Amino acid sequence: MKDVFVSYGRRAAAYWFADGLPEILSGLALVITAAMAFTWRIYAPKSSEEFDRLIVFAGLILYFLVERRVLDFLKSHVTYPRTGYVQPPEESQLRVQTLTVLSLRPDPPAKENVTFFKWRVVGLIWWVFWVAIGIPAGRWVMPVLMAALAVTLYLVNRRSEHPYRWWSALILGLTGLVFVWVDVPAPLQRPLPLLLAGGWLLAQGACTLVHYLRANPYPRTAEGVRA
Amino acid sequence: MTERAQEIAQLDRVIHEPARLTIMLILEGVSEADFLYLQREGGFTQGNLSGHLAKLEEAGYVEIEKKFKGKVPLTVCRLTGAGKAAFSGYSQRMIGLLKSDGSPV
Repeated sequence: MKDVFVSYGRRAAAYWFADGLPEILSGLALVITAAMAFTWRIYAPKSSEEFDRLIVFAGLILYFLVERRVLDFLKSHVTYPRTGYVQPPEESQLRVQTLTVLSLRPDPPAKENVTFFKWRVVGLIWWVFWVAIGIPAGRWVMPVLMAALAVTLYLVNRRSEHPYRWWSALILGLTGLVFVWVDVPAPLQRPLPLLLAGGWLLAQGACTLVHYLRANPYPRTAEGVRA
Repeated sequence: MTERAQEIAQLDRVIHEPARLTIMLILEGVSEADFLYLQREGGFTQGNLSGHLAKLEEAGYVEIEKKFKGKVPLTVCRLTGAGKAAFSGYSQRMIGLLKSDGSPV
């Protein structure tokens, strides 16, 4: 885990993202939803093409319902035996003023709960899909949308426990430029933000996970797992 | 004995020890944490952490629960109500002491 945050509350909140699993899961959810929407658009009868919105909406609901349970399962097998378990403070119970004062350093308190990730990152990406529906199709749509999404994700999360690096946001922003040259039929443009952003999250999460697993091999003895 | 010396003498010695203060600081900032997380965050050895946790538990400041996350057994620690109150009192007293010295807090 990066030693960016001084207060233990903020470090605990940032620890949730140390293994990359939240991003892998949300990235997978986005990519699968986008793939299903694409498939529907291609193979469904013309009259029911618009049902791709329902597919995306159902994907969003399903993700929000099962995300925490799936992550708890994965983390209990991957993360907790390696680097330990910590439950970050709930939003309503954040009282770290004493930490800040005692440390004699003006560190901002942990004001971001891990649940914010779902809204500030995944929710934002899903919102872009709904925005894309209302915009007339065109070659400029994807570059503008992806650039706007990248800037928003970077700015909204920059002071949170899970900030994105500027170059990572830049990569996401530039992905839209591909569609200036690659011609995608207008009806198929809608799920593209989900697909691109999902792939971006997935790639970031995978890199973080590989780095995490290399840095923290599974304890061969019962050292890391206590009964 | 001066008033200041008296106040220093009244500091909670269970918390005042650096290792236990670190444990209290970590647990005050989170809802709960397991043994391994505390060990890594605080840079403790197993024996050292066990000893200090036992003292904090004995004082009623920390409760230790053995539970499972999935099939993985975890020794989870969290501050009790008494622990939170004691830490808050300790913090206030410490801040008061530092402030009365004229130091910027």
